[in-house]
Amino acid sequence: MDESIKRTMQRLVRRIPNQLLKPTLDKWGRLTAAQKQSLDFTQPKWALTERLLALCEENEWTAKHIIELEMIYVIDNPNQGMWYAFQLMDPEDDAASVELAQFKEQFKSHLRELVKHVSVKIKKHTDEAVWIRIAWGDGFTRPNHLKPTYVVHHLQTPYVFVSSLTSKQKPLLSQALVLSTRYNVIKDANLSGRKLTAIRDLLMRQYQQVFPTKFPSPLTEKNETVSNPCIEKEQSGAAANRLQMACEAFGDGELPQLQSAVYKLETKFKDPTNKTMTEQEEPFKCVIKFASTNLLESLKQCATSGIASTPVTPLLSSIPLKGRNYFVITDNGPGPTTQMHTSQK
Amino acid sequence: MSLLKPFSKLPGLNTANILLVESEEQLQQKLAEALVEETAVTVNVRLAKSLPLPMENEEHRPRIDLVVFIINLTSELSFQSAEASLKYLDPGYFLGKVCFTVTKARNASVPTERLDAVRKLAASLHCPLVFAEDQTPDGVTSAAERLLTILKVAAGLVPMATALYLSNLTRCTVPPDIDQPSFD
Repeated sequence: MDESIKRTMQRLVRRIPNQLLKPTLDKWGRLTAAQKQSLDFTQPKWALTERLLALCEENEWTAKHIIELEMIYVIDNPNQGMWYAFQLMDPEDDAASVELAQFKEQFKSHLRELVKHVSVKIKKHTDEAVWIRIAWGDGFTRPNHLKPTYVVHHLQTPYVFVSSLTSKQKPLLSQALVLSTRYNVIKDANLSGRKLTAIRDLLMRQYQQVFPTKFPSPLTEKNETVSNPCIEKEQSGAAANRLQMACEAFGDGELPQLQSAVYKLETKFKDPTNKTMTEQEEPFKCVIKFASTNLLESLKQCATSGIASTPVTPLLSSIPLKGRNYFVITDNGPGPTTQMHTSQK
Repeated sequence: MSLLKPFSKLPGLNTANILLVESEEQLQQKLAEALVEETAVTVNVRLAKSLPLPMENEEHRPRIDLVVFIINLTSELSFQSAEASLKYLDPGYFLGKVCFTVTKARNASVPTERLDAVRKLAASLHCPLVFAEDQTPDGVTSAAERLLTILKVAAGLVPMATALYLSNLTRCTVPPDIDQPSFD
């Protein structure tokens, strides 16, 4: 058996947690009933790996089969690694009518034209997402299956999600994607996170949103809990108002889990008490990073509890509004930037 | 801007009214629930984030017998908010009807200067300072018990004791060497 296949298999089995190993192998369906019986899932991982490698030899599985198994595992557990969102721009007239078979064929042929040794596998998932696994090689080496790039694209939408892509491969992938989806430009959507489902929901607006209204909202009724008549809140009106504002900015119910938001400031230092700094011509460069296990939920909490001022500053509310978590802020300059508000928060 | 006055309204029969002021609204609710458990007297709890209190509640707000400022020591904002709220209290309250409660004092991230600042504030206003544990239910109940003791006196429900008399015994004092560097 090929050494590289063996290594890929080993690496893959090590990645899959013990409790997921059996369902994943079942779903794969390459093991005969007798072989399945012979696997003892209570054994330690290394022993199982040895057994699977032996089966691998016995059944003469090729790289193709192992890739299948890997894709099944990755598709079922998409919330691993860093995912980056890209946006397709300027659709051609026929962009809306691209269908799967055509996309598959086009993507493969376009990528093969650019790179000689590349292994592409495309699979359609039940939720209409097209999963693409690319193992890259270069002019002299065979495709490296240990470090594949995963691309997720929902057909007929302008969004593409990519994980583990190097800067060298980025232009190649961009070109193949643009040509096969019939768009003209692809650009970075400035959104990244550990959870694919979360960034997808954020970009496609698949979370519960609240819209501004001047009428009394149903929120007050929803949050009414049976409380003691002896306990009364003095500022309940203000609190309800803050909650409404926070929900308008960040949405209601469960929010997509983002891990971080980065603001790159390229603005001039403004502080009337510090004259030497204010008078400098050069912008005061700094990076502000917010990190949390669920960033949007934390920011919403900040606004409802009154730690952050309401209405929520556009700097924070544009994370869900624009669907991005990387911002460059300059002093009213041209370009895709947000206006400066240093006084708030 | 209305000042909260201690004697502008008539007291109710066998009732004591307490106002809890906390900018973060974390301990407030739990403490309120523990306070209303008291059966001997009717305890009414009013919760506020900061003072002044809104005008529209003025009518049906009972006479407030004790104002408690809850300060979370891990947050500077909490201290500043309490300090700003003090301005909206009638001076009459400082004759034994104000109390400071400090939470999270055991947290390692608390700068010692902040605790000193709170103690100085309480001492300068002749108010008692109560330390409370907000993580465990036991801590909340014991904090509630201590506040109840002060509240009953402040509401005039304890014969032979007045708020001013009690505050002379319980008020926070600052050791004279608080600003000296320690040599331990």
